[in-house]
Amino acid sequence: MREIELSLNQTQKIRLKRALEKLESFSSKASSNSNASVSISDSIPVNHEDGVLKGHGTLDLNGELVATLCGVVERVNKLVYVRALRARYKPEVGDIVVGRVSEVAQKRWRLDIHYSQDAVLMLSSMNLPDGIQRRRTALDELNMRSIFEENDVICAEVRGNQHDGLHLQARSQKYGKLERGQLLTVPPYLVRRRKQHFHHLEQYGVDLILGCNGFIWVGEHVEARDDMVEDQVSKPEQQNIKSNKNSISLEEQEQTYTPIETRQSICRIANAVRVLSILGFNITIEVIMDTMNLSSSLNLDIHEMLGSEFCVLVAEGEAERRSLTKKKG
Amino acid sequence: MVGLSLGEKHFIQGGIAQDIRSDGRKRLTYRPINVETGVIPQANGSARIRMGATDVISTVKAELGKPISLQPDKGKVSIYVDCSPTAAPMFEGRGGEELSTELSVALQRSLLGGKSGAGAGIDLSSLVVVEGKICWDLYIDCLVVCSDGNLLDALGAAIKAALSNTGIPRVQVAAGASGDEQPEVDISDEEFLQFDTSDIPVIVTLTKVGRHYIVDATTEEESQMSSAISISVNRKGHICGLNKRGGAGLDPSIVLDMISVAKHVSEQLMNKLDSEIAAAEAGEDES
Repeated sequence: MREIELSLNQTQKIRLKRALEKLESFSSKASSNSNASVSISDSIPVNHEDGVLKGHGTLDLNGELVATLCGVVERVNKLVYVRALRARYKPEVGDIVVGRVSEVAQKRWRLDIHYSQDAVLMLSSMNLPDGIQRRRTALDELNMRSIFEENDVICAEVRGNQHDGLHLQARSQKYGKLERGQLLTVPPYLVRRRKQHFHHLEQYGVDLILGCNGFIWVGEHVEARDDMVEDQVSKPEQQNIKSNKNSISLEEQEQTYTPIETRQSICRIANAVRVLSILGFNITIEVIMDTMNLSSSLNLDIHEMLGSEFCVLVAEGEAERRSLTKKKG
Repeated sequence: MVGLSLGEKHFIQGGIAQDIRSDGRKRLTYRPINVETGVIPQANGSARIRMGATDVISTVKAELGKPISLQPDKGKVSIYVDCSPTAAPMFEGRGGEELSTELSVALQRSLLGGKSGAGAGIDLSSLVVVEGKICWDLYIDCLVVCSDGNLLDALGAAIKAALSNTGIPRVQVAAGASGDEQPEVDISDEEFLQFDTSDIPVIVTLTKVGRHYIVDATTEEESQMSSAISISVNRKGHICGLNKRGGAGLDPSIVLDMISVAKHVSEQLMNKLDSEIAAAEAGEDES
């Protein structure tokens, strides 16, 4: 069992172990024999007469098909391969990712998305601030920094793997710079591909973006702006904020802070994600909401969510939930 | 260390101003502290402290040596900190040396007092074996395994835990040695004397961000600080050492205010640490 870095006392260790064992038993009942998980040098059961294609993670050893990775066996028609469970993020077209700008280069931004290379967001794949569709001129290129700077957090979609790297696009209103919130990093294999990655939690006024690369953004809700209308009003304000950053007095800054209730919800959701990441559970909106409700119902202080007691409770709750869904379906 | 965007910095500053930090803590709340003692069996005493993601290991090794001629009735203690490259990429090679020296000096000032040995948090007179001739040299070595802010507090706590785990072998001095000769000593392998750690101070670091101070800052919060004061306070509430970091100037009234806040926080921290250390030692005895 994977060692979890929590300081648990004896009873908590036993309870956690029991909950995790229960979850493991569900998963092993679910998977059929042919999709069994394998470790290195396990032989993969294959019907040799069928003319099987050996994919990634397999090796032909003395006529036997043997796994070279620890993972799950996947079969697609005649292709048999082993998919590693704890792999680095592997981007696919259409994935929503959250990244941090590492460099402003010629006509593009380079973003760090926790992948083996930096992703590229071309200037032409970005909507201009004034919303007009036109050719990007040299002036646009010089003003790139006014759109995104270094270390900005950006939400975008994967466009594809081009010759010079992974390309992203951010042509819709829902993509773009993320402010007023916090960025969390979880292992990428915990975020599965779903239909919806943008979640607007109305009752808390919080935006939750589950990036497929393991970057999760929790922040105050920002309405998707119509750039053409707002441009005249908001642009001078933004420029003021940036240029007068040092001379803005503390009182003025305080007025622009997130309201307290929203901040509490943001921190609670962030802690829920942290707890799920520590326990290694898949991060989906349902599980996050369940964890949130559990913590609210127990009247826990927000920072106590990161304590060992709550982690054990979450594990037990998840085991319960899964046993209930098993009984239903 | 990853950079932060303007929006994230604003969020952190807002959180500190509104008393709800990024993980929900209040300004004066510590992260959960996890203490393990006896992690390195070859040393006389060792401890590992985890505060959130910050992970430090401290070991104590005792050797017989000669006391300094100016202080014949006191033993010697030397503290050294090493930042492992696994803690952060910038610590690779010689990158961590500046931080290591800064931490070592800060710890020495907080725990050992001045050059004359006066005001030391650790009682050096208990380390002497034969006055003027033989004393115990304690080498305290600390390793930063993972760094997520608040290293000084974690190191101070680790040293306290390691010293309470330290067993100094009992020494038999052969009687009848003349004035100048080195007396014969017999170091026993069996009996150990536990070090008295009730007077060892704890270090509380207060980081000033905007108008407020926070305790136990993470790396992101530390990147927003204007200045930080580390105060080591002992059980009686007396200040054993004071250290200021950061280029911004502080009004003296703010410094006094921070000191009183640190005194208040140190009581809770001291109690928490003592109970955790006791639990860790009890757990170690069982296993």
